[in-house]
Amino acid sequence: MSLATYIIKRTIQIAITLFVVITILFFLFRVMPGDPTAFLLDPKMSPEAKEIIRKQFGLDKPLYVQYVLYVRNVLKGDFGTSFYYGVPVFERIKELLPNTLLLWVPAILLSYFIGINVGRRIAWKRGSKEEYIMIVLGLFFLGMPIFWFGMIMIWLFYHELGIFPAGGMMTPELWLDPSTPLWKKVADIVYHLLLPIITLSIGGFAGSMLLMRNSMLDTLREDYITTARAKGLKESVIRDKHAARNAMLPIVTAMSISLAFSAGGGVLTETIFSWPGLGREIVQAVLNYDYPLAQAAFFYISVIVLFANLVADVLYAYLDPRIKY
Amino acid sequence: MRLLYVAILSSLILFTLSPTQEPSYGMNSVLLKVGMQDEPKTLNPFKASDVWTWNVIGYFYESLYAYKPLTFEVIPWVADGYPEFSDDYKEAIVHIKRGIKWEDGTELTAHDVVFTAKIMMEFKIPRYWSSWEFVESVEALDNYTVKFKLKECRVTFMEGTLMSIIVQKKKWEKIVDEAKRSEDPFNYLTEYKNEKPISAGPFVFGEWKRGSYIFIKRNPNYYFSGYKFNYTFQTLEEMREFLSSRPGLEQYADFEEKKITLTIGPFVDGILYKIYRTTDAAILALDKGDIDYIWWPIQPGYVKLLKENENVSMISTPENGIRYLAFNLRKDPFRIKEFRQAMAYLIDKHFIRDRILQGLGEYLCTVVPPGNKAWYNPNVKCYGDEGQGMSRAERVRKAVELLKKAGFSWEVEPRIEGDRIIPGKGLIMPNGEKVPEFDILTPPADYDPLRFETSRRIQEWWREVGVPVTAQPTSFATITQRVFKEWNFDVYVLGWRLSLLPDYLRDFFHSSQIIKDGYNPMGYYNPELDKLADEFVACGPREEKVKIAYRLQEIIAEDLPYIPLYSQSNIEAFRTDRFKGWFSQGLGSISASISYLKPVNTTTSEVSEQGGEKGIGYESYIWALISILAISLVTTLAWRRNRR
Repeated sequence: MSLATYIIKRTIQIAITLFVVITILFFLFRVMPGDPTAFLLDPKMSPEAKEIIRKQFGLDKPLYVQYVLYVRNVLKGDFGTSFYYGVPVFERIKELLPNTLLLWVPAILLSYFIGINVGRRIAWKRGSKEEYIMIVLGLFFLGMPIFWFGMIMIWLFYHELGIFPAGGMMTPELWLDPSTPLWKKVADIVYHLLLPIITLSIGGFAGSMLLMRNSMLDTLREDYITTARAKGLKESVIRDKHAARNAMLPIVTAMSISLAFSAGGGVLTETIFSWPGLGREIVQAVLNYDYPLAQAAFFYISVIVLFANLVADVLYAYLDPRIKY
Repeated sequence: MRLLYVAILSSLILFTLSPTQEPSYGMNSVLLKVGMQDEPKTLNPFKASDVWTWNVIGYFYESLYAYKPLTFEVIPWVADGYPEFSDDYKEAIVHIKRGIKWEDGTELTAHDVVFTAKIMMEFKIPRYWSSWEFVESVEALDNYTVKFKLKECRVTFMEGTLMSIIVQKKKWEKIVDEAKRSEDPFNYLTEYKNEKPISAGPFVFGEWKRGSYIFIKRNPNYYFSGYKFNYTFQTLEEMREFLSSRPGLEQYADFEEKKITLTIGPFVDGILYKIYRTTDAAILALDKGDIDYIWWPIQPGYVKLLKENENVSMISTPENGIRYLAFNLRKDPFRIKEFRQAMAYLIDKHFIRDRILQGLGEYLCTVVPPGNKAWYNPNVKCYGDEGQGMSRAERVRKAVELLKKAGFSWEVEPRIEGDRIIPGKGLIMPNGEKVPEFDILTPPADYDPLRFETSRRIQEWWREVGVPVTAQPTSFATITQRVFKEWNFDVYVLGWRLSLLPDYLRDFFHSSQIIKDGYNPMGYYNPELDKLADEFVACGPREEKVKIAYRLQEIIAEDLPYIPLYSQSNIEAFRTDRFKGWFSQGLGSISASISYLKPVNTTTSEVSEQGGEKGIGYESYIWALISILAISLVTTLAWRRNRR
């Protein structure tokens, strides 16, 4: 099977998975107790006014009709109108998704970059103080709740040291000033981005570091490492070219799986740092019974995770030439 | 490793390039910076339903009548004088003040009022519909006179209909026309984004960066700028008494003249709303001086931290809301009045206030909170909580007495030995059956620890007389589902936010509300109350309404379909170093004082310099430099060791 056929096959699988996802999402939200219009209704509203609102959201129709309409619209790329914001869901997602990617992508890359490199290093220096410290630190970061860590970061770097902002995406005073040049505005966003990225990366790197270390230790016991040494290769070449590359395989698998979990950390990070992203919106949407928005947000996150899985699978072939599709 | 080094270094360089000074909006502008937990959902007033939206757009729209600050009397606002009613109260003429301007310079006239009224009526705007459904027609007699024709006159005509917002006809005419021609007019109108609202209020729309901030500017042509509210007193004692329940208000008091004067500003150049998703972040920002006020109540846990900052103050004000316990009157034993009264005796509201609320709130005897002074009846029956309150033993004795009188008996009767209570067992109803085990549906501790703890206490207290009850933590959504939609409950504990006009005395207890999704899920029916409640909501002189409201509260306190529990106090935190004049009205939020706030310094430029993100100056350069040096050092050392 060629790579192209493999990708096509996987894409079909992904499509089926997504269909299952949207169906589950639809029913999951409907079995939640409570009424999506509850937050809009107040004691003063007459039953007639309530009915107007229910009708506006299409909630007056039977469930199966709602489902058929929903699937048909999703296939057309239309997720409907957000109950809460009253704007088409796509519009809201379009606004938020770039912000989320801006935060998540660098954070995930950074955490894996750090994790893999440090893991490789401490495995190589087995038994050293460095390994000991990093393992303790790693376990600490792995176990700590990220919302707590985020708060500590804000407290330290914003409140005590005053070098980073408390959160948000921009300094309003700067953006309100018409004389602010564009580069300053870009720098302002980057400036607001740093602390959340650092938090998310530190919260995420430990897993990959520990995994890399273990995998690397296994690899180092292999015969081909001994052979490489016997050949008189440089230590750094043995470590990076012979051992690390083979040790990477489990990391790639773990990476694609853990993306889903990173999403969880991302949601919390966005909330703590008031980052206007998709993750925070999910929490709000679920709390507000905003079915359309929550469904769409989960859908897009599923797409990202599934797509990342596909990339990981393809990457396998690159890392391990023995793998054939 | 080198790559990592480069990555960190470049991000740090970027960081040092980032803004280090805080430029402000225009020169010398004085901005009030407010922290909000969420941003507005829309700028369309016909769509807006949530508090965050109204915190912003509420400043754009005026109404014919308004509540006078502090006393909450209804006063003419855009209207010139009180309405002239016909004898049968079915017609009302309202005159309008001349010279009130929209921000674009056009005058606010009777045509704007009529146009808005027609939107309310034709589109049945849900937020306002209950105030407009009884209006037959509205017409402009001339530019400054509006005539209302009513199908029937309701008390909400003054405090609802005539307090509705007014929008500009010029701005909305086209949209309304298009909406009417569209397939779904209501949707069309409410989906309109209104990106450039036209204001007649104290502030006009400035700029909105979604997810980050929203900015509104002072309206230089605001009609009511400089308008004074005066409150005069006969004696100093009277004045002190008035001030005592309104912290902060003494700043406006003239003790020699025995007078309080509030002068409408705004005295700030604008309000900058910043979004903080967590209270923690907002508290830190307030502590640091990045915001002047957090526009939502803070938890008592933060008080200690903020007290350490001499520039931060806090005011606690009772909310206009109640937490209550209600019975399903369709079931035994809840349908028996004496049972409900006995249960009320067992609830120690003093304990709830002092121990559970830690003093941050007030216990309630009636459904109208004491802060709503105009309508609050202070003399209703309070079941053991009058004055100092009864002891536990007295409460149990009273409850047992009442239950016995109603024909209840026990397998093992509760006994009181001195102060010790030996709980009873197996309470038997007058019909000979045992009282079945039942639940109190209560919001769980993570949703509201106070209500949860209160319910748990009530469970213990009721068990003392052998009532087999369990406080059942249940998600909010499930409670509302089971109570209002299914009527599938025994007892529940929930809360309401209330309006100033207590027309909820009818909404919550009138038999017409015994419908699915109605507000009387208890199934409470009392013909006397129905009749009085109907009278209450019909038009008539206010003194008469007050009398009826008092009587309604007495009936409810006697029948106890609800046992009112408590109303919480909200602690709000604000800074005092940039603006002065924060005060509490004795009810609700201190945000009402924003229109009267004055900058602390007379020269505005100083204020601008004071505010803002302190610490992002030279300090940050130094920190960045130290970080770069440290990282470079560590990396170089590590690299060298590697090479060896």
